[in-house]
Amino acid sequence: MSQEVEETLKRIQQHKGVVGTIVVNNEGVAVKSSLDNTSTVQYAGLMGQLADKARSVVRDLDPSNDLTFLRIRSKKHEIMIAPDKDFIMIVIQNPTD
Amino acid sequence: MPDKANTSSTAASLTPASETAEEFDDESEEESKIRVRFNVRGLLRVFTADFYCCGLQQQIRASSLGSKHAGEGDDNDNWTRTSRQLLRPADQMDLTETELSEEIPKILSTENRHLPQNLVIYSFKEGAYIPIPKSTNVVTIFECEGSAIHIESAEAKAQIARDGVDPRIAELKSGTQTGATTPDLIDRPEGTPEQGEGEGSEAGGEVEVEGEEEHKEVAVGTTGGPKKKLTNQFNFCERAALTCSNPSRSVETQTVPPPRSQFGANVVQWHIYDSYNEDFDRQTREKEKEMMKEKKPGLQKHAELKRGDAKNKATEEFNRKYLQKCQILERMVNQNIFDDIAHGWLKSFLTISTLTILIKDFRYYEDPSDEFREDDGTLLPLWKFTYDKCKKMSVTDICLNTHYFDLYAVCFGSFEFIKQVSEGCVCLFSIKNPSFPEYRITTESGAMCCDVHKKYPYLIVIGQYDGNVCVYNLQMGTKEPVYVSQGVNGKHSEAVWEIKWGEDMQDGEINFYSLSSDGRVFNWVLMQNKLTLTTIITLYLDVPPVCGPDGTMIKLKASGTCMMFHPTNKEIFQVGTEDGLIFKCSTAYSSKYLMVYQAHYLSVYRMDYNKFNSNIFVSCSGDWRVKIWEDMRNDPLFIFDLGASVGDVKWAPYSSTVFAAVTSEGRVFVFDLNVNKYKAICSQQVVPRKKNKLTRITFNNKLPFLIVGDDKGTSITLKLSPNLRLLCKPPKKQGWMDQHTLQVQKLDRLLSLVRELPEGGQSTENDPVDDATSN
Repeated sequence: MSQEVEETLKRIQQHKGVVGTIVVNNEGVAVKSSLDNTSTVQYAGLMGQLADKARSVVRDLDPSNDLTFLRIRSKKHEIMIAPDKDFIMIVIQNPTD
Repeated sequence: MPDKANTSSTAASLTPASETAEEFDDESEEESKIRVRFNVRGLLRVFTADFYCCGLQQQIRASSLGSKHAGEGDDNDNWTRTSRQLLRPADQMDLTETELSEEIPKILSTENRHLPQNLVIYSFKEGAYIPIPKSTNVVTIFECEGSAIHIESAEAKAQIARDGVDPRIAELKSGTQTGATTPDLIDRPEGTPEQGEGEGSEAGGEVEVEGEEEHKEVAVGTTGGPKKKLTNQFNFCERAALTCSNPSRSVETQTVPPPRSQFGANVVQWHIYDSYNEDFDRQTREKEKEMMKEKKPGLQKHAELKRGDAKNKATEEFNRKYLQKCQILERMVNQNIFDDIAHGWLKSFLTISTLTILIKDFRYYEDPSDEFREDDGTLLPLWKFTYDKCKKMSVTDICLNTHYFDLYAVCFGSFEFIKQVSEGCVCLFSIKNPSFPEYRITTESGAMCCDVHKKYPYLIVIGQYDGNVCVYNLQMGTKEPVYVSQGVNGKHSEAVWEIKWGEDMQDGEINFYSLSSDGRVFNWVLMQNKLTLTTIITLYLDVPPVCGPDGTMIKLKASGTCMMFHPTNKEIFQVGTEDGLIFKCSTAYSSKYLMVYQAHYLSVYRMDYNKFNSNIFVSCSGDWRVKIWEDMRNDPLFIFDLGASVGDVKWAPYSSTVFAAVTSEGRVFVFDLNVNKYKAICSQQVVPRKKNKLTRITFNNKLPFLIVGDDKGTSITLKLSPNLRLLCKPPKKQGWMDQHTLQVQKLDRLLSLVRELPEGGQSTENDPVDDATSN
């Protein structure tokens, strides 16, 4: 990862209410995370599946379309997922902070 | 001769034909015979089954047998004896010793004694019983038609004649000429028929054959030639030998099982779509490769060299994707953070239940209090955009991107001569991400102005305080400029105050104009690898030359501070100067002004053409005034005093009568001449009066908000309330009229009112050049 990417990730991490950032590679392994190990693995596994499914939904509707972003608003957090063919980026934010 | 026991066993079992050919020993009362009969044609009939009774004396001496064996004391037979005793049935007759030793003869004869002897049948013809001929003892067991024919038969001769002389027969004939009377059909190796018998091969072969027609025996050995044994023409037989069969054995080996894997997948539409696309890409690539090979075989090495860079390229691509996704995420995080700004005010007006159905977007927020005001409007601050490195610099220019409405460039530098910054900066902010600029460009000196190309929105030109200009291509990155002015003669000698992209030249070259306080307007053309400049005009003041230091006369130059190009007639441009004059010039003439306006008492900071009527323009100055001018009219149409130095003024893109201005006291004024010709309909303090000054302002072209910049490096977006952006309502009878026409009409109406004023003075309004472009 280039320095620019690292910087941006760092900046995101410093934003208000951001709980953690995770980068998952295409094998479902978290390559970069600011969370503890257990939750990283859990997020990486579950969000990977969800992103795949969501992408599949979008592409099933129109094969030339693609998923660029997905966010889940929960009671406690907002989980933002930016999926790519080769990786998935996840940011967890507590928006009420 | 076999002994007695042997004989009995042979007799009991079915005797092989060869053995039956021998005579049995003398003890047997009757001979068992097999009559073998051949007919001439080789029909073989074997008559057997005459074994109705064997003339064998079978002496059953069970007890003596047992005692005899017991006497031998053979241990191996012990178990048989005991088992025999155990198996003796209870009702077995007890016989005496004499009875046991009695010999009971059993005869095997060829005659069937059970056959009725004297069967009769009644004959109706004769009226008496007549005897039926005795049925024969013969039972046919096997009958087989041979295919062999006798060599002397007519058929055989015919066959030989047809086939030609059989060499084998010819040989045979020569070999048997001396002794043999009849040649054989079949070659047999010497001695074979007799060898299987226990006796000597040559002498003992007495085969008794009972034939009906012929009985020929050929003596062997004595008559035959040295190589050939002549045998009986029928003397052939089949022998079978049972070799010990190979014991079957099963051998098993276990091989390593072939690798297996389970595969399961769902195929959905987009998988198919993707694979087709992939295939298509591959095909096009291959085609290109072939084309390359055909065209330039020398290029292949080059391509191979490039392959080494492929990895780097992939990494770069990967990083680019990472960055893109990061940016999306950052925007979203920001959206959450500034959630309350987007519609924070709403909370005070609406209940929670209605809040939930609102779309979270600032654009749909309208200030509800506008309904209760008559004409006035408000500005709602949305987001503040700052960049840490530029906090001490002032915003020197704000320029909207022509392609992305949410993207705008902000120049950071300093207006103060004493407090110049060591390096300037240009940041491109997107309103989607208020916390961090999308692009950052660092310049060597304070950035004073910039412009984004209309046709190529990635090209951005920057004018700097030191007089240099540079062009950046955002697609190529923001580290290095693609073009930069070079040398002392290749740049302005003072700060560049305004820079504008020009229309593409006739041969498609991209060019831009720059204005500096050294009084020159340059035209820069982007050549292949450098910038070339031409001076369009040098602005001289209309005053007599003053004396120089050593007797020379110096013509005073007018320091330009702002410049604008006519929106339709690209040759025409206007320049505002430090001493308050506005020059109307043309790129066609470099020495003459089309018009000089005595506009202001202090330097003109900004001018702007009306978006709907290019004959109307507005100017602002440090003398606190904003003036609205009509083209070629010496006196302004409107004069507004804003009570502080006016840094910037802009016409609104949506209305012909609305413009906004900022003052150094931190206020934003919005005027709508249609509503109020004397006062601003909105005057709002945006930044603290003592601390900050507002420097620049611009309207967003698409969304109803303003961007203002201050001298602390902050740009603020301000949402215009509905009263500030009233649109024209078409008259009842002319509902088909579009907004643009209505806006033009609105302005014209307004102008006609103003022109009638006695102070208007001159009635000649338009010069011939602008006549065509008006309205």
